[in-house]
Amino acid sequence: MNAQVPVTVLTGFLGAGKTTLLNRILTEQHGRRFAVIVNEFGEEGIDNDLVVDVDEEVFEMNNGCICCTVRGDLIRILSGLMKRADKLDAIIVETTGLADPAPVAQTFFVDQEVADRTALDAIVTMADAVHLELQLDDHHEAEEQIAFADVILLNKTDLVDPAILDRVEARIKKINPYAKIRRTTRCDLPLDEILGLDAFSLDRITEFEPDFLESDHDHEHDDDISSISLASETALDYDKFERWFSTLLRTQGQNILRSKGILDFQGMDKRYVFQGVHMLMDGAPMGDWPEGGQRTSKIVFIGRDLESMRLQEGFDACKVA
Amino acid sequence: MPTDPKVNGVQQRTGAPVVNASTVGEVIVVTSGDGSLRLFQPDRDPLVFNTHEGVILSMARESRYLLTGGEDGRFLRVSLKGEVEEIASFGSKWVDCVASDGEHFACSSGRVAYVWSPDRSQPVPLEHQSTVGGLAFNARGNQLAVAHYGGVTIWTRRGIKWTKSVLAYKGFHASVTFSPNGKFVVSTMQENALHGWRLSDNADFSMSPYPAKIKSIAWAGNAPYLVTSGASEAVCWPFKGKDGPMGKGPICVAGRKQIVSCVQGFPDVNGVLAGFHDGTVVLSQIKPESDAVVLRNATGVEVTAIAVTETGSHILIGDAEGEILWFKMQ
Repeated sequence: MNAQVPVTVLTGFLGAGKTTLLNRILTEQHGRRFAVIVNEFGEEGIDNDLVVDVDEEVFEMNNGCICCTVRGDLIRILSGLMKRADKLDAIIVETTGLADPAPVAQTFFVDQEVADRTALDAIVTMADAVHLELQLDDHHEAEEQIAFADVILLNKTDLVDPAILDRVEARIKKINPYAKIRRTTRCDLPLDEILGLDAFSLDRITEFEPDFLESDHDHEHDDDISSISLASETALDYDKFERWFSTLLRTQGQNILRSKGILDFQGMDKRYVFQGVHMLMDGAPMGDWPEGGQRTSKIVFIGRDLESMRLQEGFDACKVA
Repeated sequence: MPTDPKVNGVQQRTGAPVVNASTVGEVIVVTSGDGSLRLFQPDRDPLVFNTHEGVILSMARESRYLLTGGEDGRFLRVSLKGEVEEIASFGSKWVDCVASDGEHFACSSGRVAYVWSPDRSQPVPLEHQSTVGGLAFNARGNQLAVAHYGGVTIWTRRGIKWTKSVLAYKGFHASVTFSPNGKFVVSTMQENALHGWRLSDNADFSMSPYPAKIKSIAWAGNAPYLVTSGASEAVCWPFKGKDGPMGKGPICVAGRKQIVSCVQGFPDVNGVLAGFHDGTVVLSQIKPESDAVVLRNATGVEVTAIAVTETGSHILIGDAEGEILWFKMQ
């Protein structure tokens, strides 16, 4: 069977520079075959043979799960693109400025055909260094786009004082300490820093370990998105974890935007790796623990109102007695 | 070479996945993702016509012609001699669905279905709240079913006017079909299920659960049955009498340890052809515990199209890697 085509999701508020980046991707000589899916009501039209215009359609699934929404238009377009004679090297999906990235990500968990033929590569969020602080204050969508991101391009840095830039970056890190932040002026960075990252593959989750435990729990007010990371050097009980975690996602999934973990289950030789978007999650035993080293289970949540979920307590209760 | 000794036929490879196959008498027409349309008929060499730029997304038979819609935004009519007529062009917007009852014809692009009547050059646009997933005329040609998010809209024609009634059911509805007698309408859903309505009183019924999304449906056999993919067997729902499948279970035939990806009725013998995810194609009667005959062994590539000539003399199988097998039934 054919390998999966990587799909990069490009989010960001109006004016952050998405169109500039897309035009770069479309015009640069990189020798790769791309398809770019853009919203037909986007800020400015991009006229190019590689562009497919869509009308963003968020569909609720009829499975009793209210936060399980998918992008119906993407299912249709991706299925069509997979029938082409020329195999694509990558697909880039641009979302509208105010879009919630969750339905796009969830599409890759929910639709089997999409999941078989394509793979969510990374969520890249463009942030306008000049306006981001204001946008974060005014629009929860801006906060969500930062929270969901694997990579954040902090763009237009030439228009802002270095001190302000540091403050903006600190604010981003408070929402999402796990995303890679790249400072740019006119989206000028090598394309391989945003494409082909494989950020959603379970394989790669184990690679962002160095940052994994750096987190603080500062809160300004309850609506803020924040992150929490938890660790345990005691092995976990699979059944207890399964019970706790599935209940947690079922009852709190709307407030948990993303979750990731590398876990040491008693009786399991390999590391158990998972990641989730809202209520949906994907996990599997993957890769060996370093020989002779300490096996530390780590789990991270990005979301709203995490403090009320008693995550530490729930996690601790999963430890082998 | 055919993979099975029982089969002696012609193999062809297109440059892209096979999308669709239609029967026009003894001719089978196949479309693929490279924009080509191929004709297979007994005792003749296959013909290839270039039609669309890119993927041919949909195809429907219109008497002795084929209607096609493509990602190039064009809605075409193609004759069996390869003459191409452009009916409409939607620019950068895809033409996702096409349908015909032999007299009227329709296509959809985005949220709008366009219907042409024989005596008018301009189509009537029928708008919906979300993108059209499927189109189907009833046999009488006075109704058009349009599947979309949140249900199916039935458009009924009186003279030149089309009036609508909405059959609501939560979720996204992809393809849609009328029962041959026009009394029922059934949609395939984004969820692993079918949903049906009896049009006399709008009574509705779910046909689920399936282990996989239903990508292929066909009317077959003497009940008639609506045969579907999406399970490890060809699932055949009986549509006999005024209740259709309501209160009855399906007959499941041709079971294997694989998911059925494509189904097609076999004329006259109450039979069904089932193509599997691993490339196997079998023929079975639609009755409990009937033995299926393997027509082609596994190839490892998903079956995406099956068609049979009207007399049942020849069969065509197409797959996700563009392989076409055309052979005479023994």
